[in-house]
Amino acid sequence: MSTTTGTTSSASTSLISSVAFRTFAVVFAIATPVIYVICEMKNWPLFTYHPATDRIDLFYAASRRDEGPAMHWYGWIANTIIGAGVLGALATLLPESVTKKIPLSLVWIVPVVSVPILIYALRFFWRWE
Amino acid sequence: MDALFDYISVNTFWTILMIVHGLLAVALLGALTHQAMSVLMPVRQGAGAAAGGGFVTRFRAVQGAGYATAVCVLWIATFIFGAWIYAKYRIYVRIPIEQQGYWKTLGIFELKEHLAIIGLGLLPVYWLFWKNARNPEYDSPRKWLTVCLAAMCWYMFLTGHIVNNVRGYGS
Repeated sequence: MSTTTGTTSSASTSLISSVAFRTFAVVFAIATPVIYVICEMKNWPLFTYHPATDRIDLFYAASRRDEGPAMHWYGWIANTIIGAGVLGALATLLPESVTKKIPLSLVWIVPVVSVPILIYALRFFWRWE
Repeated sequence: MDALFDYISVNTFWTILMIVHGLLAVALLGALTHQAMSVLMPVRQGAGAAAGGGFVTRFRAVQGAGYATAVCVLWIATFIFGAWIYAKYRIYVRIPIEQQGYWKTLGIFELKEHLAIIGLGLLPVYWLFWKNARNPEYDSPRKWLTVCLAAMCWYMFLTGHIVNNVRGYGS
């Protein structure tokens, strides 16, 4: 199995072998499902989008009468990417001896565990009426 | 955008975006399924199995590392198109489905949206693991992360189809 493709640039080659990028990527992958589940269950969007009127409110806003639904999904995404990005960047400041101890299996176990929690969070939809 | 609507209808525009979203998803599904098969049932090197084997053997005999960047680009592109049409879905598709009482259909679609962003967060480490394919430390997490992403992709693809069958754009 080849390590890289023949067209890999020097920039991506340095990224591949970078300890800082490894730490960032691992922490970002673990933090993303955790922060997203919290934002979804607590309903903490960075902003609220009202698609019928193209209006954007900062943080949570309920739908307004005669203005269609309010969407919070984009705001949860913004919070998740910013939060996971900040945690990933902060983790790169830690010594390598510490970051090497983060179990790599968490990058797939945490997303798998988040699925039943998200299914529970969607319990409003699991009804027969 | 208004100038575009002089040439095509609003319905046609959103239908085109939906089709592009679907085509990108097909490419992503194919790439991830090849990769997942290659890590779950690897073909032994030097046995000549890939060349002499059947369809399934050749299907799982791909060089997974070569797909990594394409999978990342396709996931991001599919996500952007999906997020773009999601706003129209919320008004013109979800509300009629709510009125018809198909709650479970909406629920499985909402889970699809959740999986899309979780998968997005996994892409940097997924790319790193595949670009260090000779590092044995990454073998196990690379394998299961790829299987997770492939499972997510299959779920999202099938769910998107179901919702489009219930009420697609232009219905």
